Amino acid sequence: MEVSEEPAPGIDLTPRAAVPTAARGKKKPWFAYAVLVLVLAAGGVFVFNFLTNAIDYYCNVDEIGTKDGCDVDRNIRIQGVVDKDSVSQEGSVTSFVITFNGASMPVILGSKPTGLFQECIPVVVTGKVIEDDNGDRFFEGDEVLVKHSEEYDAENKDRVATANGEAEACSQKD
Amino acid sequence: MNTMTPPTSTPAPASPKHPTSTRFTRALGVASLVGIGWLVAFGLFLSPNDRVHKTGVRILYIHVPSAWLAYLAFGVTGIASGLYLWKRTRSLMWDRLAGASAEVGVLFMGITLVSGSLWGRISWGTYWTWDARLTTTAFLFVTYIGYLAVRDLGGTHQQRARRSAVMALLAVLEVPLVHYSVKWWRPLHQNETVEEGKLSGLMLFSLFVGIISFTLLYVWLVMHRQRVLALNDQVDDRGLDVALAARREES
Amino acid sequence: MPAMLAMENAAYVIGSYVVTLGAIGVYAVSMLARARKAARSVPDEERPWK
Repeated sequence: MEVSEEPAPGIDLTPRAAVPTAARGKKKPWFAYAVLVLVLAAGGVFVFNFLTNAIDYYCNVDEIGTKDGCDVDRNIRIQGVVDKDSVSQEGSVTSFVITFNGASMPVILGSKPTGLFQECIPVVVTGKVIEDDNGDRFFEGDEVLVKHSEEYDAENKDRVATANGEAEACSQKD
Repeated sequence: MNTMTPPTSTPAPASPKHPTSTRFTRALGVASLVGIGWLVAFGLFLSPNDRVHKTGVRILYIHVPSAWLAYLAFGVTGIASGLYLWKRTRSLMWDRLAGASAEVGVLFMGITLVSGSLWGRISWGTYWTWDARLTTTAFLFVTYIGYLAVRDLGGTHQQRARRSAVMALLAVLEVPLVHYSVKWWRPLHQNETVEEGKLSGLMLFSLFVGIISFTLLYVWLVMHRQRVLALNDQVDDRGLDVALAARREES
Repeated sequence: MPAMLAMENAAYVIGSYVVTLGAIGVYAVSMLARARKAARSVPDEERPWK
């Protein structure tokens, strides 16, 4: 049943304080307003983080020192594929080499990587590029995130496919 | 004064156990439950582990379908809102469909964020990171929470319908932004899997089981929710009838 | 993959299914309860889907 737009004939319809209306939300609109305030605040946080972090999420290894914002001695995120046989662990320090488009960068990480971290997998490392007195560069990392591909393959499909997949994994570039 | 009180001249009807159910929704509910059973069977037990993700890939079968359902739900909200604003098709039925679909969409978007966060912990090594896909998805989620709040701001049903329809038409523009964020920016989140044909065999089948069962569930939830909204509107209208009846008695 | 990690991952996987199905279940049950509550004030003939 809808609310009739036509006034009922012969009835005094002047507003009164306790007259119910066809408005559900009127019971406690303060709650809706409070939610809206929270939504606007959260939206502001998301937009701020989007503009400061998400737009250009990382630099590729080959962009260090060449692309705007991918500078030495600046806090950045760097992407590359972990080189085969390059991972070593000494206490809480993990070191490995990442490569992208033919450019390589040694990484020293002050923590133990989590997630799917392994050789031949693309990773994004947070930290800064350090240049020593000889002009050699390495990446001092705080955190490593694994950037897995969109490809999925059954674990025990067959041995040949697995071997081929692993061989390809080290050559993936993005 | 209690606005929910029915007119004194009409006796309160007996409350049925499932007032929003019909034979069709019952059949749909059973089909959804069977689908969910299949999803659990294939998602957790029958599908193989992934070569890289191992058992973590099983979250894909709920994460992707829930994201797809949220997109669908917000799309339906946008279309229904457009139909309400168009004078030739204007009806509060479209407004209630829009509201019901948005609410179910928020539910599925929330599930997408939580399941994605758990999957992120397994694969990336973190629950959350400010990359383009995650940030735009979170933004979409709060936008539709805002939409639901706007529906509750009061006024007549028509006022509610008009303002929320305008907001829905603006909010739905965010959906392509979220979907293409993995192409337009350089996020940590992976690219499309299904569109690119990067899933096959039993893994692909399990994903389709998830998509079909969640779609059935979506239709079931929206049909019921829309009917609850219709009942609520009628309760409000009956509140108005009480006032009119009282005035009639006075005059 | 070490067994510990596999176990931990299984907990995340099962957790995601529990959260998903639990959230949908709670939402569905609460919606049906709201329907029953609203239906108390609306006569049968005003439910066109009946």
